[in-house]
Amino acid sequence: MRVPASLSLRLSLLFALVSLGLLGGLGAYLYHALGEQIAWRDDQMLQGRLERMEALLDDGESIAALRRRPLLYANMLGNRESLLWILDTQGAPLIEVNPPGLPVPDLPPAPEGRLGAHPAVESTRLAWRSLEHDGRRLTLVAGKTLGERERMLAAYRLRLWLAMGAGAVLACGLGWIVVRRGLRPVRRLAARARTIDVTHLHRRLEAHDETAELRELSRALNQMLARLEEGFAQLSRFSEDLAHEMRTPLGNLLGATQQALQRERTAEEYRQLLGSHVEEYERLSRMIETMLFLARTEQPARALPRETIDLRDLAEQLCDYFEGMADEDGRELVSDMQGRVTANLDLLRRALANLIDNALRHGRSGTEIRLVSRREAGDWHLGVVNHGAPIPDAERARLFERFYRGDPARSRPVGTGGLGLAIVRSVAQMHGGEAWCESDTAVNAFWLHLPAGDDDRVDSGPGRR
Amino acid sequence: MRILLVEDESKTADYLARGLGEAGYRVEVARDGLDGRHLIEEADFELIILDVMLPGLDGWALLRLIRRHGQVPVLFLTARDAVEYRVKGLELGADDYLVKPFSFVELLARVRTLLRRGPLRERERFQVAELHMDVLKRRVTRGETRLALTNKEFALLQLLLEREGEVLSRTLIASEVWGMNFDSDTNVVEVAVRRLRAKVDDPFARRLIHTERGMGYVLEDRG
Repeated sequence: MRVPASLSLRLSLLFALVSLGLLGGLGAYLYHALGEQIAWRDDQMLQGRLERMEALLDDGESIAALRRRPLLYANMLGNRESLLWILDTQGAPLIEVNPPGLPVPDLPPAPEGRLGAHPAVESTRLAWRSLEHDGRRLTLVAGKTLGERERMLAAYRLRLWLAMGAGAVLACGLGWIVVRRGLRPVRRLAARARTIDVTHLHRRLEAHDETAELRELSRALNQMLARLEEGFAQLSRFSEDLAHEMRTPLGNLLGATQQALQRERTAEEYRQLLGSHVEEYERLSRMIETMLFLARTEQPARALPRETIDLRDLAEQLCDYFEGMADEDGRELVSDMQGRVTANLDLLRRALANLIDNALRHGRSGTEIRLVSRREAGDWHLGVVNHGAPIPDAERARLFERFYRGDPARSRPVGTGGLGLAIVRSVAQMHGGEAWCESDTAVNAFWLHLPAGDDDRVDSGPGRR
Repeated sequence: MRILLVEDESKTADYLARGLGEAGYRVEVARDGLDGRHLIEEADFELIILDVMLPGLDGWALLRLIRRHGQVPVLFLTARDAVEYRVKGLELGADDYLVKPFSFVELLARVRTLLRRGPLRERERFQVAELHMDVLKRRVTRGETRLALTNKEFALLQLLLEREGEVLSRTLIASEVWGMNFDSDTNVVEVAVRRLRAKVDDPFARRLIHTERGMGYVLEDRG
């Protein structure tokens, strides 16, 4: 069955259904109780009648005398529903009062008295008793046809049905009104939510003056709004940064070309110009490639191919790669990494390479850079520890944002274009982990956290913060 | 060496055809899938460069067609750097791929590798001018002088010697020497080449390792 779309309608129908069930149950109970009560009263009356007949016989009245005094019992019986037989041993009626003209009943002997229906006619009730009188076996029978009782009960039933129907309709209507009233805060919430759009993301739902259930909902929605607002702000900031970052190489290309076109140049000058252009193009192309990479990592939980990686081998490869650069700056790359981690090799290598590159860029000349690994409760922490000026707290929080470059005076112009650490964070998040930075007076450590047993945590995708 | 280039973007097709022509290849250009199919069926090529996003008949369909005809090497170009694309191309029988935007040097290197495939033999000795390398003995000499190289310097020099006269891009060098197959924006390769040069070239009169600005590095005897 399709559920009605409106909550009010649904609730009021449910309300009606419940009332109908309750009223129906109550009605059925009352109806049966009444029926039983009437039956009991009738049986009492029939038995009373038998006793009176017996008393008359005991008083010495002969059957013949009784027959001659029809008024006595005619009076006593008085209506068309009552029956009375006195039967002899053969079952032939000695006295018969039988206005509806039923056949004479053929009853089993019952010295103690019995109750039951007429064996040949339904909807009758008889009480009978066998006894000795003047040396004869007689059967006294008092009875009643049930027509009247049934008519009465039928009328009662009809009334009950009507009352139930009316009750249900009333319940439905009242339920509708009550539910509408009860759901008013929801409509208020909806009205408030309707006013929130892209330009009004700072608006919030009012949580305090609502009912407890709605307060919870409002709070959850407000938290969602806060996250959305943050994401949206980040996105806008990011587009702005992106445009800015692209403007620089484009400006260089445009300016340098126009300047070169001012007059004739030698072939060598043109070659130099084109070479410089290639460098700018490469910068742009790399930026786009990185942007694509980052955008892709933000798609919800895509299956990430993983393999078992020997950290010692990976660190050795990276040290080999950066050895020359470190050496140029009088620095040494030292690896303490060891163990086996399950991760995506390309991504992990890229993240660690970016961390080392970052350390080479910002660390102090002549110091060492240490690659370390730590295992805590199954989780891996991979770090690149570096000697350099301490990083202020405010800056540390933003280091992993895209295009964030820290102190402009400190960073060198060429390089990752402010995306290197953003990639590190993305890689961590793709593995369900996080990246962060610790800094004290002399040492800056950049950490990559890879949670354990990631395979059974498919839902904790890169979207989580 | 005849190369078929199937590419609908006219500027791309033009510069690729020109560049490959200058590198000594004969290039036929098809501007759409149907043209491409016609040429594949009519003529023989040693290499096919295929853009997969084509009007008329897409690159995948052409790739299937090519594989029905024979084993000519296929390099496909894609603007989409999604893993599914690469996997699909390689599964359909392509030999290599490049993601746009790619550098021309990179393309040239791949083309050379694909065309060289087959009788590729590990050489044990190299000689350019008075520079000698013995791979098995791990010995490098220039004239009478024995050069002491680190492992990575040796690998880099070997790569340059193997591809003597070819311009090698930084990306290619990073991936061949260190196995770093992502486009790193550090100047690791520059530094490595500079350090190698300090040993191989600087003490001598004639330079063998040259920088092609914006392209990469090449080792050759320019007299």
